[in-house]
Parts: sequence; C-alpha cells; structure tokens
Amino acid sequence: MNGIQVRSGLLARSGLRFYWRRPWQLCLAVSGIALGVAVYVGVDLANDSARRAFQLTSDLVTGSTTHHLMGTRGEIADSIYRTLRMEHGPVRAAPVIEAEVRLSRLPGRVLTLMGVDPLEESGFRGFSGFVPGRGTDLTRLIVEPGAVLAPAPLLEEMGLELGSEFGLLIGGETRSVRAVGTVLVTSSADEGPTAPLIADIATAQELLGRASLSRVDLILDEAQAERIRALGLPNATLVPAEGRNAAFDELARAFRINLTALSLLALLVGVFLIYATMSFAVVQRRVTFGVLRAIGVSRRQLLTGVMGEALVLGTLATTAGILLGQQLAEGLVDLILRTIGDLYFESSVSAVTPSPTIYWRGIALGLGMTLLAAAAPALDAARSTPNSAMSRAALERSTRRLALRATWLALPAAAVATILLLMSSRSLVLAFAGLFFVIATGALLVPVATRLLARLAEPLVEWGFGISGSLAARGMAASLSRTGVATAALSVAVATVVGIGLMIGSFRISVEEWLTGTLTADVYVNIDGEQFFDDSHRDALSAIPGVRGSSQTRFVRLPTAAGEVSLRALDPGPDGWGVRMTAGSTEAVARMESAEGVLVSEPLAFHRQLQPGDDLILPTASGEQAFTVLGAFRDYSSNGGTVLMPLSVYRSHWADDGINGIGVYLDDETDRETVLGEIRRVFGAGTPVRFRSNDFIRERSMSIFDRTFRITEVLRILAGVVAFLGLASAVMSIELERGRELAVLRALGLRPRQVRALTLAQTGLLGLAAGLFAIPLGIVMAALLIQVINVRSFGWSMDLEIASQPLALGVVLALSAAVLAGIYPAVRAVRTGVAGQLREE
Amino acid sequence: MQNADSHIRLIGVKKSYGDHVVLEECGLDILPGEFVVVVGRSGSGKSTLLNLIGGLDRPTAGDVELLGQSLAGLSEDELSRVRCRRLGFVFQFFNLIPTLTVAENVRLPMALNGASRAEGIQRADLLLGELGLDECGSRFPEELSGGEQQRVAIARALSHKPDIVLADEPTGNLDLETAEEVLALLEQTCRRHRATLVMATHSREVLGTADRVFTIRAARIHEEPP
Repeated sequence: MNGIQVRSGLLARSGLRFYWRRPWQLCLAVSGIALGVAVYVGVDLANDSARRAFQLTSDLVTGSTTHHLMGTRGEIADSIYRTLRMEHGPVRAAPVIEAEVRLSRLPGRVLTLMGVDPLEESGFRGFSGFVPGRGTDLTRLIVEPGAVLAPAPLLEEMGLELGSEFGLLIGGETRSVRAVGTVLVTSSADEGPTAPLIADIATAQELLGRASLSRVDLILDEAQAERIRALGLPNATLVPAEGRNAAFDELARAFRINLTALSLLALLVGVFLIYATMSFAVVQRRVTFGVLRAIGVSRRQLLTGVMGEALVLGTLATTAGILLGQQLAEGLVDLILRTIGDLYFESSVSAVTPSPTIYWRGIALGLGMTLLAAAAPALDAARSTPNSAMSRAALERSTRRLALRATWLALPAAAVATILLLMSSRSLVLAFAGLFFVIATGALLVPVATRLLARLAEPLVEWGFGISGSLAARGMAASLSRTGVATAALSVAVATVVGIGLMIGSFRISVEEWLTGTLTADVYVNIDGEQFFDDSHRDALSAIPGVRGSSQTRFVRLPTAAGEVSLRALDPGPDGWGVRMTAGSTEAVARMESAEGVLVSEPLAFHRQLQPGDDLILPTASGEQAFTVLGAFRDYSSNGGTVLMPLSVYRSHWADDGINGIGVYLDDETDRETVLGEIRRVFGAGTPVRFRSNDFIRERSMSIFDRTFRITEVLRILAGVVAFLGLASAVMSIELERGRELAVLRALGLRPRQVRALTLAQTGLLGLAAGLFAIPLGIVMAALLIQVINVRSFGWSMDLEIASQPLALGVVLALSAAVLAGIYPAVRAVRTGVAGQLREE
Repeated sequence: MQNADSHIRLIGVKKSYGDHVVLEECGLDILPGEFVVVVGRSGSGKSTLLNLIGGLDRPTAGDVELLGQSLAGLSEDELSRVRCRRLGFVFQFFNLIPTLTVAENVRLPMALNGASRAEGIQRADLLLGELGLDECGSRFPEELSGGEQQRVAIARALSHKPDIVLADEPTGNLDLETAEEVLALLEQTCRRHRATLVMATHSREVLGTADRVFTIRAARIHEEPP
C-alpha cells in the first residue's frame, strides 16, 4: 500500500515537473481553458443577473395582478373602468396608464411614467413591488397638479430634493412635475429594477394628454374572470397577466439560450484545446510511459496520473476562469440588459446580484470538460506497453491510420447531426446539439486534410522559402501525431469566429434589404397619443408640388391571450405594400386586398405555429374574431409579431377611423428640404407629430441592429481570443518540441536565417491550414446558425451572405496567431547554443 | 608543433561552464586526411572538444582554426556556412531527421549547399550503395536498425564532400559487432573520400587503426605515442 502511494506520488511529481519545465506550454494551456470557462461563466452570470432583473421588474409592474383588461385599439376608455367599478359589482380593479418619458435634465434616460389610483394600489403593487418612501404625503400626490413620486436615486442623480420641480419630455414638449415623495423598490436585492415615476392617474392623463387608460389591472378568481368576459365590454378584452409577457418571456429565453450556446461554443473551443494540449503532452512522453510500464507502473496508475494532471490544470484554469468570468459578466450584463431592455422590454432595468449556484456550475463544467477532454489522451497513455517506446515512424504510421479512421467516423457523426437537426423542428437545444455534431464532423476530417494540404503546398513553400519551406511542409505532413489534433482544434476555434461573423454579416444585409423593401415612402409622419390624422391631411399632402402619393397607417397594439401583437392596418402608397413573402402563395397580397384575410409576420407565424389557411383570433370592437392567415412576410421590426391588413378591413372591424402614420412619396427630382417644409406646414405647430426621413429610420434601425448584436460580437471576439491563445499554445508547443531537430539541422549547416524561416514557415503553414479548413466549417456553422438556430430562437429567416471579410479575418487570425507563436521558438532555436541544445535533449 | 597545412588547429583553448573547467590550455594540429581519435573517460571533455572544433560551441579562451580560418570572429551565420561546406557530423544518437526518408537525410547537406536535386540523388545513391544501404533509400530512419541508422549518418556526413568529419561516440549506441562494422566503414569511407576524421570515443578497439590518438585527462589534451 505504502509502495503504491510512494509510486503514485513520484508519478504525480514527474507529471508536474513535465509541465514545470515547459512553462509556456503550461501557461498557454491554462489560459486557453481559463478563457473558455470565463466566457461561459461570464455569460451565465450576466444572463442570470439580467433574467432576475427582468423578473423583478416584471413582478414590480404586475404585482398581484391576475388579469389585465385591455383596449382592442391599444388603449382602454376611462368610462369602461367606471362602468366596471360602478355597475358590475365588487371587483378589485386598479386603473393604470403607462408611458415612456424622458427627463429634460437627463435626456438620454428613458423612464416609465406610471399613473395609478393611490387608493386602489395597496392591493396590487403597494406591498409587493414598490412603496412610497418615508414621509411621502399621498394626499399631495392626488390633489396637487403635476405631483409625482420619484425614485430616490434618480433625484439624487439629478441633484434634486423633495419638493423640487423637474421637466419631463413628452411628445416633443417639456412638462413640469414636482417630486412630492419618493418611491422605493421592496425587492430584497440591493440593486435591481428601476422604480417608475408614479403619478396619480389624473395627473398622468394630463401630462400625457390622454383621456384613456393603458389598462385596468384586476385581481380575479376564475368565476369573476368568466363573468367579466361574459359582459362583452366594448373595445376591451380580458387577458391573463402571465400571458401578457409570454412573447417577451419566450424571446428573452431564446436570447439567453443563444448567448449560453455561444458561450458553450467558446467553451467547446477550450475543450478542443485541452484535448490538443493533453494529447500533445501524452505524445511527448510516450517513451517515458513505456519505461514506466516496464518498471511496473500499472495501466490504471498511468490513467490516474494523466487524469490527475488534467485535474490540476483544470483546477488552476477554472479558478482563473471564474475570476475572469466575474469581471467579464460585469461588462456583459450591461450589454444584455440594454439589448433586451431597450429593444423588447421598453423599460430600463439594472443588474442584480446573480445566483451563487452559477459559480458551482462553472466549476463543475470547467473541471468536467477538462477531465472529459483529457480522458481520450489519458486512455491512450494507459494503453502504453513496456515496449511502446514506439518509434516515431511507427507512431506516425499509427496516427495516419487513426486519421483515416476519423475520416470514416465523420460519416456517422454527420448522420447524427442531420438526424438531430431534422428532429429539432422547434427545439433549440436539439438544434444546438446538431450544430455541435456538425462541428465534430468537421474536426474529424481535418487531420487527413492537413496531411493532404501539406503535401500539396510543398512545392509552393519550397519555392518561397527554399529548403526551409520544403522541410516545413514535410515536417507538417509527417508529424500528424502533433499537427493533426492541433489543426483540428484550431480549425474549430477559427470556424466559430468565422461562423458567427458570417451570421452577423448575413443578418445585417438581410435587415438592410428588408428596410429597403419595407420603407417605400420618403418621409414618415407619425402622431403620438390619442390624436389622429384625418383624410384632410392626406388631401393637403397630395396637393403639395413634388409629392407623388401617400400611404396611411393605423398602428395598434392588440392584447391577446398569447401576448400582445402589433396590428398594422395600411392603405398603401404608390409603391405598394412593401412586403417580402416567406410563406403563402403569390396571390396572398391580392387576396388580402380583397379582404379575404390577413398577413402575419414571420416571428408571429413561427411562435403561434400559423400556416396559410389557419385562423388567427383577434379582439375587435365586436368581440373576438377569426381572420384567415393568407401568408407570412419577412419582418424584423417586432418579435411579438405583426399582423398586416388593409385599412378598410381594420375600420370595418374596429370602428376606428383614426390614422397615426402617413408615408409621403416624393418625386425623384424634388427638392426634399423644400417639400419637407411644406409638409411640416400642413400639420402646423403644436401637434405632437414626428417627421422621420427614410434615411433617418434606416440609419436608426441599423444602429439598433448593431447594438443588438454587440454582445454577439463581444462573444465572437472572446472566442477569437480563445482561438488565438489556443493556436499560439499548440503551435509553440510543437515547435519547442522540435528543438533537437533544429539543433541537428544547425549542426549540419542550416543558417540562423534558414532556421527562423523553417520555424515560421511551419507555424505559418499550420495556421494557414487551420484558417483554410475553418472556412467551409465556418460557412456550414453560419448556415446552421442562420437557417436553424435563429429560426428556432426568434422565428426570423434570413439569407446566408458569404462575405469575404469574415472569411479573410478567420485566415488572418489563424495565420497571425501561428506566425506570432512561431517567433519565440524561432528566436530560441537560434539563440540557444547548438551544443547545449543537443546535450539538453 | 605547428603546421601551415593543418586542417584543424587549436591554440590555447579553454572551455569552462561556470567554475567547472572542462578543457584548459589545449593545443593541437591535425593534418589533412588524418584519422584522429580522442579518448577519455565519460565527462572528460571529448564531446566538448568536438563541439568546439565544429563551431557548435565557442571556447572560453583561445582559438580554433579550421583550414586556416579562425572561428573566433565568425558570426553564427558564418559558422553555419563553415559547417555546411566544410564539416560533416556523426552523432552518438544518429540524429537523423525522423520526418525525412533515408535518401532525403543523405541529400540534406547537399541541398543546404545548393546542389541540384539530380546531383543529390546520384550522390546519395552512390554513398548508400558504398555503405550497403541500397534498398533503404525510401525508408524512414526509425524503420532501420541502430547500425543501419549510423551508416545513414555516415553517408549524410560525407554527402557534401566535407574536408573534415567529426564523429562523437559513433558506436556508443551500438552492440560490439555492429560497432566494429560501423567504425570500419566510417574509417574506410572517410579515407576513400579523403576527409579528415576526428572521432571521440571511449572504445579502445579503434586505436590500432587511428593515425594519431589524443587523450583528455584533467582537462588537458595529451597525444599518445604511436
């Protein structure tokens, strides 16, 4: 027993010394794994923090509400609330008016102004979400015009005290309000959701220039809910509170899964690098393992020894990764909150402290993945036989056989990937599993391709680098035991960077094309609040010289049991409907014009599984009505989903003649500034009208797009850094191992310049191979991310655009990392005395 | 003894690693075509002496001259050029390049000297034939036995027609019978190609065939009487 312990201790010491004598190999391997873990933990922490922040914010606004009574035209008449309270028995109901406002002192800050009835609030939000701060006089809030409760930190930020006045930017005008008290969030977290500005309902209506409500919150049991539904309140519909945010919840979930999967991709890159590192470390010591077996070390002890090394490496790297991930999360959470919050949630939230279980998950995953990646090389080490001081030639022959076998294994791997992808019709997790198998297929093909490429490249590199080039190419082809695994790992790493880059680029181009197709008018005029355009505006616009036509739109947000949908009722302009169909027949638009049904946006069709011919239930003025879905159109404007119908159809079902959007079409030769001035004059001053040019909307949309994808871009960069370090680590290790060979070559007369050229040519070739193989793999990854993952996540389809820039970037990344990694071994090979190096080896 | 025609001349050479003096006050002249053996115990400094002669290491003091040219002032690049053109090496552990075939290993020094591929192939075939390795050209070094590998190393050392061949314990890794065979081949081939051969060894069997024998004792070099 004691003997075994001593032997195990010595084995461990031998393993640790192996790495200790190769500090570069150790540092680079650890940093590769650490970065992978850091990206995963960072994203997980940020995701959790964001999820909990949104949950708290949602709880804060929803409180104990079980149902919402919402208007079928987006808003609900004040009279309905009164009717509900006075004529339909005792119901626990609270009116709410909600709008986004900006602060004149902090114009960049968007804040929710929430108008409530303070006397009704206690049963809804008062004790679960926010409460008035100490000393707040609720009577003043009710009776004093312009009185609001403001979050204390906001007052502090603006340098104001209680009783101070400040301005709110509403509909292009500044309205003055006075802080008569503070509002506090009662969540246990120190940080978290930002409390809204609270006003009495009447004050809010006055400030916003509205007579209607956003909704009525209700606390109902099922019997009460049924009773209210049976009332058939005009222009109102009752929806469960949990359904209201269903679409957002699903989207946020998809967003989180996507980020997690991307971070897992970074970790996968790390795993490949661990595999490459451990394989290399085992290959380097094959003679030592043979000797150890000869002197009586058992297979199990060798297996345990190598796994023990992996455990030490994994522990070091995971610890570093978690510390790094913590830092990373701080930056990422802000990006996630901004992306989801600004674009989809329309509310400002701030981060909360994430759950500590994430750290444990990070530790488990970091160590688990390290051990998993080390298992195959460890088993390889354990298979060493006493006479397996296998000759290098035999090792390379065996590696070539393995590489061929791996090529054949790619077939079943591809089959599994195909099956998983086909099975994943709605499952994001299965789709990602399929993607990972596709990556594995690519990795299995790389070793044979590496050998082939080295052979094909030999004449070219010989021409470029002379004898050094020839030696480099031959070395790479003949050292498959070293170069095969490394190139496979690096190809996967670089392909990830290429794939994500292509996906972002393709999406950007698709959005640009969609904007071009959709924004057919030159100027868009919108009106806020409860005011509307009428036919006279359209006539006046048409009379302006240089205007060749106009479109009229009524935008409404409709509450449905499965969440809100945006309704766009359009009387199109001279350039038509501006839709690109993704499902349904070519006659779908014509049939819609004939009032046969509606078109739905692609995300709506996906999330609600709507096919052409299906019915979509919408709340109309006369109750719920079924509309035939004629087809789906491409739409990136909303994830909740958009329904498109002719304006005439909307007017007949909703009894609403209001228009809140007009598109103006100009002649090509018209002086735009002059016409714009004329258009402004039509609407006069004092109307809350917004004028936006086609170019402005396009620019704004693209900047939102870029902001949305900033986090993906960050993850791509991080995956790139992991790839860079991994590449550097693998290449440097391979070159440092060749110290003796280089010393022999120097003894034979290879000049320092030639030694440098040889090293750099070999590392460059390796990088080039990784970069080149990453191109097809990256394209396949991008195709899957676009055609499968994005559709499953958001319901968006887009066209794959194979731009040259991400492909070139991949090759440059691989080449530069490889060449940079070659510098140290090249310098070392020349600086170290030949005699010393021969003696050392 | 100083000779103007010396192929190798050591003048007051000293080599030390830190405080440890390996060679001191070493002087010798080796004439063209001579077969010189350097003997001594393990660690006595035989390999160091060969490394200094081959320009693989630099002396702490003194000078080494090869074919009348001092190595003292030469840059690494110039030393490489001298090794490439004038010297051939045979190492104890063969040190063949594992990723090149036998024929390619033999052709390597010629390629480094800018010889054409055809010329290289012809010369490699000739040498491999002389050394009894006609059938081995397309095989990889580690597919050969130790004795065969050392014969390939001899062919490589002579392929570019060097003036001097330095052999460091060339039989140290071989069994007695193979060692004798390799030594005979090395000596004969060098004589046939008129190359000066300096061999470091602790094997006494070779002494009878050598032209001159030097012993290293207590860091100093002594010529043994014939």
